[in-house]
Amino acid sequence: MDETKKKYMKRSEIFTFGIGLFGVALLTGWMPDYTQTFFADFAFKGKGFDSAVISTHISTVFLAAGIIGAVMELVIGFLIDNTRTKLGKAKPWIGFGSIPMAIVAMLVFVAPNTRNQTLAIVWMYVVYSLYTAIGCAVERPAECFGALCSPEPSERSSAISISSFMKSVGQSGGMVVVLVVGIVMKAVMGQQQYKNAEAQGLDLIISTAVCALGFIIFVMIFFMNNKERVPYTREKVSLKDAVKVVFTNKNLLMVSLTKLTGFGRGVYGTVSLYIAIYLLGSKDLKLALLLPMGIGTAVGTLLVNFVLKKFNTKQTYILFCVYGATSLAILYFVATGIGFRSELIIPFLILNFFCGLQHGNTNVTPNIMIADCVDEIEYKTGKRQEGLAYAGFGLFAKVASALTKALGPWLLYTWSGYLPSTNANVAYAAQSDATLNKFLMIYTIIPAVFVILQGVPILFYDMVGEKKDKIVKTLMIRRDAAADVDTEEPANDAD
Amino acid sequence: MAKKKKQMNLKLYGTAAILIVAAVLAAITFFTYTSRYTAFSPEKMAVAYVDTIAQTGDGYNAYKNTLLSKDMKFGDYIRENYINPVVYENYKPGDSTKGLKGLNDEALKGEKTLNDDGTLKGKMIDEMYPFFEELITANSGFDNCDLIFTSYIEKLVEVRQEIFGDKYFDDEAFFTAFEANVLTYGESLTGTEDEYDSNTGVQTKFASTGAYQEKFGDDYKIEVVSNGFKEGSADADKAVVNINVLVNGKVEIENLPVTLVKIGRSWYVDSAACDTSALYGFYK
Repeated sequence: MDETKKKYMKRSEIFTFGIGLFGVALLTGWMPDYTQTFFADFAFKGKGFDSAVISTHISTVFLAAGIIGAVMELVIGFLIDNTRTKLGKAKPWIGFGSIPMAIVAMLVFVAPNTRNQTLAIVWMYVVYSLYTAIGCAVERPAECFGALCSPEPSERSSAISISSFMKSVGQSGGMVVVLVVGIVMKAVMGQQQYKNAEAQGLDLIISTAVCALGFIIFVMIFFMNNKERVPYTREKVSLKDAVKVVFTNKNLLMVSLTKLTGFGRGVYGTVSLYIAIYLLGSKDLKLALLLPMGIGTAVGTLLVNFVLKKFNTKQTYILFCVYGATSLAILYFVATGIGFRSELIIPFLILNFFCGLQHGNTNVTPNIMIADCVDEIEYKTGKRQEGLAYAGFGLFAKVASALTKALGPWLLYTWSGYLPSTNANVAYAAQSDATLNKFLMIYTIIPAVFVILQGVPILFYDMVGEKKDKIVKTLMIRRDAAADVDTEEPANDAD
Repeated sequence: MAKKKKQMNLKLYGTAAILIVAAVLAAITFFTYTSRYTAFSPEKMAVAYVDTIAQTGDGYNAYKNTLLSKDMKFGDYIRENYINPVVYENYKPGDSTKGLKGLNDEALKGEKTLNDDGTLKGKMIDEMYPFFEELITANSGFDNCDLIFTSYIEKLVEVRQEIFGDKYFDDEAFFTAFEANVLTYGESLTGTEDEYDSNTGVQTKFASTGAYQEKFGDDYKIEVVSNGFKEGSADADKAVVNINVLVNGKVEIENLPVTLVKIGRSWYVDSAACDTSALYGFYK
């Protein structure tokens, strides 16, 4: 019998793992944008504070939270790797951390009733930093649970793939919640009273409560049903060794580097509003533009699972990169070739859907690769370090995200030659053909170049094929041997 | 024989966690909602109503706290009572507009309307402003909303036709012009600061000194506070709340009475029983 193909997880566990990540994403996807809106527009409304000072501090609050988040990635990763309980190493963080996380998330939307501006600013820093730190302590273990759910790589890949899909859906769940809350409030309060309540930010407060409740319910379903099935190793991991892992394991480093080399993939988001205005004719079409791409991403996340049954992770990643760059190039040439005409919007949006498919790959495949890298690290060092491996990847992702946020506006407002409106009554000034063409390039060709670049580090990734099989088999034998010796005190509740 | 270790009851923990968090969330939401939502307290509602006017001379948005907005959005109230009778012939408030053809018929749009990039709309707003300002000054505010809206719409139809060269008229023309004029009027009181687009650096607004600044100084501070009940109480169905307006800590308007009515759990300002003219003159 081929031991590597043995099924370890119950069918329901794959689903509840996805439910758990859906719940985490529901809250973490909701918080940043709506916190910013709440702080800027509602938290201290009518208190007579200097809006320019508050706006400046809101930007700094998020910058500080970003730095805290990056540091916490490594701290939590290190702590996970040094956690040894009957429940496992990641699961206790998720199960016990989710209660304070839900409550602190709610407290972010309970502004103090003060007319002291300094106190208000301090509160914003403290409460959002606290949320970021606690959020990291739940989100990171939830991510790395994928590497612990099964020792069998293909079963683990399926679980990661399905949960990544659920996670990507959960990230947009908050938008649905706020919509439904609005409809219910209108029905209960009447149109104008709802408007008045909305003007006081009350719909955001209720929506946060709904997201936090959804979060705790979904996470607890996961917590009650799922088990860590890869036994942790007993050696203590020193801080020095832990950090070394992130930067010295070649395969793990290559997977993390994809985030840096591909950081400009996301600049299309910056220009999407202008594509909608200048090339499609209405700013309202921004949503119509991003929706097909979002659906494409969700479908792509599921599609990766099927591709992975035919190809290994390296081939799948490179295949999707080539496909992604090609689809974006086609979109560019079709758009410039036939010009933008409102009657051609449907084919344009369909092409957007096909461009979105590639994002499924970046949502799923790296997570599977990291799980494989954790196996490789255990094989080489005898220590499993899921926490640090995922934390390292998360750290690179955060740096890449900061670079994207800097590059996007530079391309849009400087490189493209964008002409802002100087007439207060004209929202968007007319642009030259060269500028419009550059808008299109920011939306298509430039992301295409970065999609290719993100595939480059994977060319050096080799945790596939015979090497992977050999490592998996060796680890199985080692674990069986360890279990035989250690029958009196099982490492955890792994089956 | 190996001693079986005691396992944690995950189902019990998970259920307890959900119940505890749900209870905490419900308590925080209830507390926040009741403390922030103005309509549950007659004093808060009266303060919100007067504050909207006192801070920026905005009697228009203050109506959103009144009985006029009880059953429908204030915008819909204006549409039904003042705009639709102008747009549709023989329209009476309460009638449905379904299937009706009027001045908002797309076929009435001329070349200038179809090709306007915002420049002509801006011209229309600018030309309406002196009329708006005169209307508010002559009537000492927005208390006579019937006269304000009727006169404004009549003038707007005329000015729009002159600028765009067609007979087209819709609710958007009214709200665009009127709300822009309300904003400009507010800025004439509060003054403005230089503003720049954060992305492009283009100056979007220039600094100006407002009437409040001229009278009370650049760093003036207006506070609106309740001075208790003149009649009724928070437990009654009707109340009159005395409101004080303080500028830089000094009382400028004392005991301005605001009449409120309770319907269900919510309090509404009875604008027909309120005189807000003092709020449009305390800085002169």
